[in-house]
Amino acid sequence: MVEVTYASVNEDILRAMEPPKKGWWLVFYIALILLAMGAVALWYQIVHGLEVSGINNSIHWGFYITNFVFWVEIGHAGTLISAVLYLVRAPFRTSVYRISEAMTVFAIMTAGLFPLIHLGRIWNFYWLIPYPNQRHLWVNFKSPLLWDVFGVATYISVSMSFFMIGLIPDMAVLRDETKGLRRFCYSLLAFRFRGTNHQWLHYMRGYLLCAAIATPLVFSVATIVSWDFAMSSIPGWHSTIFGPYFLAGAIFSGCAMLLTIIIPVRAVFPGFKNIIKIADLEGVAKLVIFMGTLVAYSYLIEFFMAYYSGNQFEKSIFWFQPFGEYKLFFFVTIFCILVVPLLLWFKKVRTHIPSLFVISIVINIGMWLERFNIIVISLAHSFDPHMWRSYHFEWGEIWITLGSFGWFFMWFLLFIKIMPSLAICEVKETLTPPKRRS
Amino acid sequence: MKKKFIGVWATFAFLDDTCDSITSLRKANFKGITTHSPFPQHEIEEALGNPQSRVPFFSLIGGLKGCFFATFLICMATLDWILPVSEKSIISIPSSIPIIFEATVIMAVEATVIGMLLLIYRSHKKHLFPTSKTYRDYTRFMRDRFGVVVPCKEEEIKDIQAIFQSYQAEEIYCEK
Repeated sequence: MVEVTYASVNEDILRAMEPPKKGWWLVFYIALILLAMGAVALWYQIVHGLEVSGINNSIHWGFYITNFVFWVEIGHAGTLISAVLYLVRAPFRTSVYRISEAMTVFAIMTAGLFPLIHLGRIWNFYWLIPYPNQRHLWVNFKSPLLWDVFGVATYISVSMSFFMIGLIPDMAVLRDETKGLRRFCYSLLAFRFRGTNHQWLHYMRGYLLCAAIATPLVFSVATIVSWDFAMSSIPGWHSTIFGPYFLAGAIFSGCAMLLTIIIPVRAVFPGFKNIIKIADLEGVAKLVIFMGTLVAYSYLIEFFMAYYSGNQFEKSIFWFQPFGEYKLFFFVTIFCILVVPLLLWFKKVRTHIPSLFVISIVINIGMWLERFNIIVISLAHSFDPHMWRSYHFEWGEIWITLGSFGWFFMWFLLFIKIMPSLAICEVKETLTPPKRRS
Repeated sequence: MKKKFIGVWATFAFLDDTCDSITSLRKANFKGITTHSPFPQHEIEEALGNPQSRVPFFSLIGGLKGCFFATFLICMATLDWILPVSEKSIISIPSSIPIIFEATVIMAVEATVIGMLLLIYRSHKKHLFPTSKTYRDYTRFMRDRFGVVVPCKEEEIKDIQAIFQSYQAEEIYCEK
């Protein structure tokens, strides 16, 4: 086992920021191609209108809102890991939190695009914001959709601030370790930080406060997103369990996405294996198990509630899920998010990196389908049989969805080459400080 | 105009040497000690007498500002354009809570960040630092070395040097 020292931490993390090699370029080009596909489809949709998508009068929310919920909830795990686990001093947090914070920022940047894409007339997006205008009209403050605007805007702002302040000491490290233009750029972002006791004092207090304030935000934004659904009267949506259910699902899918990202990063940069230990990945896997259990409970209790409520519309929608036209989606979801994560209960599986990687991808697929099921199935089978419709997604929606993955990974790939992927100062904090007296 | 720095600074490889030297300097009644470390250290804070930060004050002000701003915005907008929704009151407290909460959080966080950066910047202005090129170009403080900077009178320099030497400082620099 290689001994980790303060100097080796700097070197290992800086090595990841060396000029990119062929593998990085290949993945980056794939991301750009996906992004270009999404851009072309979006342009086509802007020119021709929303009729080119699969949404219709009954199923007015489709792929775009599914993607919105999927990405916004990926972001929650990042804040949970960086803020909540910071407050409770979880040992596995240090090595993974910078990547999880970056994931949060890029996931929210991706999520924020989808309500705009879904608007159709994207250029009118500012009508969502309350401001004095010539129409003498204010937004409806009683609408959960407006709460969502505030929730997501706050979340983007807070997660970016939290991410940026976490970077300040590491920017100072980079400033001291680089030369020329890079040194100049990093010195601007370091805000003259030189690790003095006065600076650490204010920095640590500010960081702690941001973590403490961001913690309730994780819970509130997941709940507000769930209220987009739960505040309506649609059967299958109108449920008090949606808040905790969405929160558990958010952290479940976010942790799975973190594993999907961090495992290849750890494999590509050999120095990272000394810092991101298997025990750290196992810690994330245990979080996946815990949240997966909550999601499984919520899933099952929803069916029980539908049965026990005696409400025929609720019963109908929950019967429609496994036996209606979307039964394939339903059973694939059940397999991906309820059955496959059970493998993580075995220590051998959750400490076996390739298995962990495959399971994390399966969970991601399952969680995307789960959001699709919640949104589309409920709308396809609402109160009135006259309004029952089918949803047939179009090529544009698929391209835009793929484009969102391209957008996300493009930013992430740029991030790992420009910024330190691991928190240099916090990793050093976990090492035993050098002392003359043992 | 900022006073010129006169004093001594030293670098240490070991944390316990750094803390012991700070304790000795404080016992000898030297004020305005600044330390450098590659990461925050409780031992150093303890040796310096656990100073407090004013960042929470900024967070409180920011949070209150966000809370009042959102309350005002909702009341003003709902009264300006009356929009009855079923039996709900025009200014509905439960439905205002999410927006008031979000506004409180966003302003508290932004105020915390601004306050923190201002205080970091102010600490740079408030305390005396060596002006020599050696100090400015010393890059190991954020890497793997601890540092102690002590401003003093010219006649005290030797005493400080002696303290640093007794705790086996790696390098000692005097600036007059």
